[in-house]
Amino acid sequence: MEKEYTPQIIGFLCTWCSYTGADLAGVSRLQIPPSIRVIRLMCSGRIDPLFVTKAFISGSDGVMMMGCHPGDCHYQKGNYYTRRRYKTINSVFESLHLDTERIFLSWVSASEGVKYAHVTKEFSDKITGLGPNPVKKEIFL
Amino acid sequence: MSKKIGVYICECGTNISDRIDIDSLIEEISSLEDVGVAKKYGLLCSPAGKKYLAEDIKKEELTHLVIGACSPREHEQTFMKVCLEAGLNPYLFQMVNIREQCAWMISDKEAATRLAIKYIRAGIKRVALHKSLEKIELESNPDVLVIGGGIAGIEASLSLAGPERKIYLVEKTDALGGMTNKFAQLLPHQGANLSIVKDKIEQVNNNEHIEVFTSTAVEDIHGFLGNFEISVTNQEKDSEKKEFKAGAVVVAIGFGLYDPKETPAFGYGDVENVINALEFETMISSGKIVLKNGKPPASVALIHCVGRKEKGYCSKTCCLYSIKFARYLKDKLPNVDVSEFYQDLCLPDKSDQNYFEEAKKKGIHFIQSDEIEIKDINDRIKVKYKSAEGKKEELSVDMAILAPAMVPSQDTPKMAEMLNLPLDETGFFKEAHEMLNPVATPIEGVFVVGCALGPKNIPDSIVQSQAAAGKILSTLIPGKKLEPEVKTAEIREEFCTGCQTCLSVCFYGVISFDEHKGISIVNEAICRGCGSCVGSCPSGAIKIKHFTYPQLYREVLEALR
Ligand SMILES: Cc1cc2nc3c(=O)[nH]c(=O)nc-3n(C[C@H](O)[C@H](O)[C@H](O)COP(=O)(O)OP(=O)(O)OC[C@H]3O[C@@H](n4cnc5c(N)ncnc54)[C@H](O)[C@@H]3O)c2cc1C
Ligand code: SF4
Ligand code: SF4
Repeated sequence: MEKEYTPQIIGFLCTWCSYTGADLAGVSRLQIPPSIRVIRLMCSGRIDPLFVTKAFISGSDGVMMMGCHPGDCHYQKGNYYTRRRYKTINSVFESLHLDTERIFLSWVSASEGVKYAHVTKEFSDKITGLGPNPVKKEIFL
Repeated sequence: MSKKIGVYICECGTNISDRIDIDSLIEEISSLEDVGVAKKYGLLCSPAGKKYLAEDIKKEELTHLVIGACSPREHEQTFMKVCLEAGLNPYLFQMVNIREQCAWMISDKEAATRLAIKYIRAGIKRVALHKSLEKIELESNPDVLVIGGGIAGIEASLSLAGPERKIYLVEKTDALGGMTNKFAQLLPHQGANLSIVKDKIEQVNNNEHIEVFTSTAVEDIHGFLGNFEISVTNQEKDSEKKEFKAGAVVVAIGFGLYDPKETPAFGYGDVENVINALEFETMISSGKIVLKNGKPPASVALIHCVGRKEKGYCSKTCCLYSIKFARYLKDKLPNVDVSEFYQDLCLPDKSDQNYFEEAKKKGIHFIQSDEIEIKDINDRIKVKYKSAEGKKEELSVDMAILAPAMVPSQDTPKMAEMLNLPLDETGFFKEAHEMLNPVATPIEGVFVVGCALGPKNIPDSIVQSQAAAGKILSTLIPGKKLEPEVKTAEIREEFCTGCQTCLSVCFYGVISFDEHKGISIVNEAICRGCGSCVGSCPSGAIKIKHFTYPQLYREVLEALR
């Protein structure tokens, strides 16, 4: 029997809000798909579009960017850059005919463990539906 | 030097060991390059655990450390301290979260173990790329520069001054007191005449820890929290220059008034006996309320909200001081007919409603109105308006007193540039966070208080000054050194093209442009380490310590392997 396909997803989370929210999901014993691999950053503003590309090249099937809600950034403005960079990545992917559905941005606060569980499950289900990332083997660079 | 990485997996009682097969995890990772030891332990954060860890680091002569345990938010600091005790640089350590975000999230033990292995491997490969980082300590000056000698600046100075803290209070005019110097009196419940302001000015003048500079302009401020360098010049004494240092800056440069001429409908400067609020305060001070022809007015219109629509905000104070004027008029000229034309009444504080009710009892008319137009008709003032019911109405009066909107002080843009502070859409200074951090600014150690932040009355200005003083007193403790963030950004000279993109990205004004070298430089003493600038640099010139590209790429790669 063929083994059920489990995607690999990289999540870039800021430590102050989203990472704390993810911890809370664990403390609350909410179930998170094992497909999610979290990389902790001080601020989501550290997310460079290159990280996303790098994650896909390294074999990721999806990439999540998560930070504090707009207006709540620990560093005041970092997540506005995240939002802008998310748009940039999307348009670059579009112009290369790559699948933008595999990139996901969400604001998760330190108290939103339930939201974290919810959005990670939804995204993981979506990626499972899309199947393995077709570009990961053939991408240039 | 060859690496010897120690990997310690915490069972966390049974919190982790029940959910993750620690033995097979250790078996998987112990053969990885540079891993010298891989062990498990019951409760690493317990006193016995910490002792065991410190001893093991020394005994095994570890060069790097990875701990798989709870969230770094829980115990990263704890284990960093252990590293220090054991003589290992705490930044050569990586904490891997296999509890909250692994054991507790994934009920299938096999899947959880597989994920934990990936996380630990990522931690091992990441830590191998870590560099030692050293904490630095900076001397910090406890003194404070206060700019602006209005009630806000006065209160800040009085709250901060003390034997171990000198205050430099710089006022550009020749007297302390600010706008209140132009008033005849305050609201009745704020005390008789202007005694509260006068008392405070006297306290300032008698305080040996406050040095007052009047008729003085701030020429330059540079530096950062704990270490600002300031130069000021006296505008009178042949531009005498003075230089001093301070650890914090309080900006209290107050406000100006909207020029009613900008809206010709108010007739200011055009129609005789239309005056503004400050001119009326002067009239009260002189003791004579008279028209241009020397006679007292038989009827007066008080026009609120002059410039409110144009500026797009309510000035909070005008309703109350207009009622102050009406009551004053009634007291001095008992037969005078007084009408207040308002758009909305702003009575926010607990004593305000009562104050308003009493004014109504004195026979003052309150007319809700819009589209005010003031005309000169046969040498009388005609106030045309649209009533609350939407009808066009008019009223003839002898005198009209305008209550202009409070606008930013004219020096605001200059001061903002000097201190690298943002302004908001109204042109006043912008708070670091309107709700959560209302008197701080993005620049650490720089605070804005009073009407420089936006319209408000004297009590609210005092509250803000005391708030800023509280913040300063708890950060700039005399004798205490500052410990700046260690994981800071760094610009590599050879890559920077001097495009200055990063300057606008950094919210904290940490990066500046070195004209001489043609490149940008990070002031590491004030960098908060958010990393926002890194991804913005088109040349890849910025590096952020402990979150470098190689470190993060490696972590990503291993987490996916
Ligand atoms: C007509 C009128 C009546 C009012 N009546 C009342 C009342 O009865 N009760 C009440 O509570 N509030 C009243 N207010 C509001 C009150 O004026 C303000 O709340 C108060 O003045 C705010 O104090 P401040 O120190 O922030 O600003 P300001 O009083 O404006 O003081 C700012 C000071 O900074 C100085 N300054 C400006 N730029 C510089 C610079 N670059 N360098 C150095 N110094 C500088 C100015 O010269 C001034 O001395 C009234 C306002 C108006 C317009
Ligand atoms: S964005 Fe990069 S290249 Fe441009 S000034 Fe800043 S560090 Fe230099
Ligand atoms: S890391 Fe953040 S605080 Fe430091 S220079 Fe860059 S943007 Fe500014």
